[in-house]
Amino acid sequence: MNTSYKGKPIAQAGRYLTFTLGEESYGFPVLKVREIIRLCPITPVPRMPAYVKGVINLRGTVIPVFDLRAKLQFATTSYGERACIIVLQATLPSRETTLIGAIVDAVEEVVHLSAAEIEATPDFGGTPDTQCILGLATIKGGVKTLLNIEKIFLEDGFLPVASKTKPESSTQQE
Amino acid sequence: MAEIVSLLGEELAFLTPNQDAGLLPINRYVMDLEELAKGDSPPAAMAGLKVVRVWLDQILDGPGRFTEKSIHNLHTWHAWMSSTLEAWEKGTPAPAWPAEWDEKRKSMVGPEPTQLFAEAGETAIRLNLPNDVELLSEFHSESLELLNDIEQGVLVLESNPADVVTINSIFRAFHTFKGGAGFLHLEALHGLAHDLESLLDAVRRAELYITSEIIDVILAGADVLKQFTREIGAQLQGINPGAPILVPTQQIVRRVRSLLRAERTLSEPAAIVAPETTDTRATDTRVTSARQAVESLATSSSRGLVKLDTTKLDNLVDIVGELVIAQSMVVHNPDVQNIKSLQLIRCLRQLSRITTDLQRNAISLRMVPMRAMFHKMRRLVRDLSVQQQKQVQLVLEGEETELDRNIVEKLSDPLVHMIRNAVDHGLERPADRVAAGKSDCGSIRLSASHQRGGIVIRIQDDGRGLDRERILATAVDRGLVKASANVTESEIFSLIFLPGFSTVEKITELSGRGVGMDVVRRNIESLRGKIEIRSLAGRGTTFSILLPLTLAIIEGLLVGVGNDRYIIPTLSVRESFKPQPGTVSAIREEGEVISVRGRQTPLLRLGRYLGTPSRAVNPEDGIIVVVESGDSARGLLVDELIGKQEVVIKSLGETFAKQNILAGGAVLGDGWVGLILDVDTLVKEPYHLSGGHFANSSTPL
Repeated sequence: MNTSYKGKPIAQAGRYLTFTLGEESYGFPVLKVREIIRLCPITPVPRMPAYVKGVINLRGTVIPVFDLRAKLQFATTSYGERACIIVLQATLPSRETTLIGAIVDAVEEVVHLSAAEIEATPDFGGTPDTQCILGLATIKGGVKTLLNIEKIFLEDGFLPVASKTKPESSTQQE
Repeated sequence: MAEIVSLLGEELAFLTPNQDAGLLPINRYVMDLEELAKGDSPPAAMAGLKVVRVWLDQILDGPGRFTEKSIHNLHTWHAWMSSTLEAWEKGTPAPAWPAEWDEKRKSMVGPEPTQLFAEAGETAIRLNLPNDVELLSEFHSESLELLNDIEQGVLVLESNPADVVTINSIFRAFHTFKGGAGFLHLEALHGLAHDLESLLDAVRRAELYITSEIIDVILAGADVLKQFTREIGAQLQGINPGAPILVPTQQIVRRVRSLLRAERTLSEPAAIVAPETTDTRATDTRVTSARQAVESLATSSSRGLVKLDTTKLDNLVDIVGELVIAQSMVVHNPDVQNIKSLQLIRCLRQLSRITTDLQRNAISLRMVPMRAMFHKMRRLVRDLSVQQQKQVQLVLEGEETELDRNIVEKLSDPLVHMIRNAVDHGLERPADRVAAGKSDCGSIRLSASHQRGGIVIRIQDDGRGLDRERILATAVDRGLVKASANVTESEIFSLIFLPGFSTVEKITELSGRGVGMDVVRRNIESLRGKIEIRSLAGRGTTFSILLPLTLAIIEGLLVGVGNDRYIIPTLSVRESFKPQPGTVSAIREEGEVISVRGRQTPLLRLGRYLGTPSRAVNPEDGIIVVVESGDSARGLLVDELIGKQEVVIKSLGETFAKQNILAGGAVLGDGWVGLILDVDTLVKEPYHLSGGHFANSSTPL
């Protein structure tokens, strides 16, 4: 669904679910959103990057949950009352899909964006990193940043193995 | 592989024409190579193995002796194979594929010219995959069942040749098979099945009597059909789709026809003059009346069985598992518990009863009796005892014991291997047995029973037993064990599970005991099982395989570390205890060991390892859980033991595929996800601190 623009995919016209992180507004393509659930107890997974909050039980399926603020390097604060988990359907390199939960501060609305309202991400010269941004949309006087789900959460389709604490020993595989 | 090829070369050096000495060892080495070639191997090796497999099968099925020509061929093959492997290892170009193997591979071993001619007439089968894929997969699964029925039936006939019911059922099975093959235009299969059916028909009509020759032919025929069917299955799974399938059938067809002709010389002398093609047609008409009878039989004997896609079953078991958890959440909900209503309590009790029943039933859907697999072993033992000229009695016990079908499938290979070992190496030759004061007929007992919350499968032979001195000597030789080490008997026996352990001692009668035993153990551990050995010199060896009832549910030990809870599979837990002060000692500030029953066991502080602040700073404040994987054990320091419970294992999904600390997740009674630790990783982690982790993590593992 992405077209290439200066070698980088940009967002297509269509419906987007918008939500807030701190003071800023973001959007995911609606087609990728499976459901929105209330914040629920999350089981932390050891030795994962800090933005991996852990796993939850979604009606019998275990799915990973990511802290979107931590992933986009926002200052971490506790979650407010309106915080919720957006369950997304991400596509793996194998073309199979997998469910992923993203914690956001508040869900706003579903908007329709025309091609004219979407523009390519300007080059900030490295900071902030624009790798995971599909494009910017200006509506109702505000700017919404449209995010590329696969780029944000999956590196090569899998979570990288890293650690938030100093590990006791190295992880070895054959 | 190179090691086995060189062993094979040594066997080849001793071959003499018109002798069968060396045939079986060579066959076993080739089988081992075939097994290994499935993994990492040069592409040409597989093709080369196929060539030699055809030769060997022709010798095994035919004369059973080497000819000058076949020995020469094997020598050429061996030279080619060694240089192929060598080239592959060094990365140099592989030697050329001898062109003669392509056209002549059917004929190289064949001793008589008539056979050469007939062998050339083999027709290959080509599957019409895109169009027939559904029909073919149905045919494939149905055929495997039919062929198993045939095999079982024939084994019954062996002990009771006049069993009319069995003869009829074998006839019916061949008939159904023939129908399916004909429908799909699998000519070679159809022809062979037809001839075998005619043979059985003659038996049915009492024109022929069951002899061991007939039984051999039927088994050989069923084997060929099975080989075809397996190839079809492989192509259905996308391996070489569309490639022609060539399995020699002519030899068996000839054997069947000569048996039938022998019969007809008695009853119908005219048929001998008829050429073979009309010969089959003649049989065809005679079968017609019988066929009608059979068809009416077939409809009446259809049982109320349903074939199901296994993923549907797996889903059902999963969902029922969720239901059980949801039910327990309702029952234990504090608000619900505050309601003082007899009516409600009764309803809830009823609900629990039903959900538990439902769960038991759902799980039992996946359970299948071990019978089919056990009977396969009967066939194996029969073949081996003929080959080895040993008398072997196989005693089967507990064949009704049920096990998850996923486990049964994966258990087949290890069992075949162990039974083969037991006949090959465990049991002595009849003369040696008599000399040792035992009956000349060796016995192998294969049993399955419920035990320790799982299933125990035992393979027990009354042979010579493992030679512990020799095993230990080999291990010391190879530097696996220090000569001064004080090793227990079970530790000595478990040495045979080390990869390639016995290939070194190839000349002794011990050889083979270790070839592939590491694979056996790996297979069993992948099923979350354990294997134990007991052996008495001169009295025999017993292998016990302890398996969980099902792969979907495990019994787990729930432990608390800091604020988190983890599940350790109970099968990997050896013991757990509260450590006494002073039993933990540090080694060069890098690691810690704890004394467990007088042995120093490496200690892993789970909290520190997993990055969760642990409450137990001193080991004495926590609990040590000793886990084991393979030969190694490790003490895990946890804060507390919360309990034991059965959990439904869930995959953590593709996103966590790169980590190896967790084996999966499970939904606990309170709806939270509990993480199941991968004991294998925990035990095998190096136990000293290392700063290399961050460097490692940036490169994909």
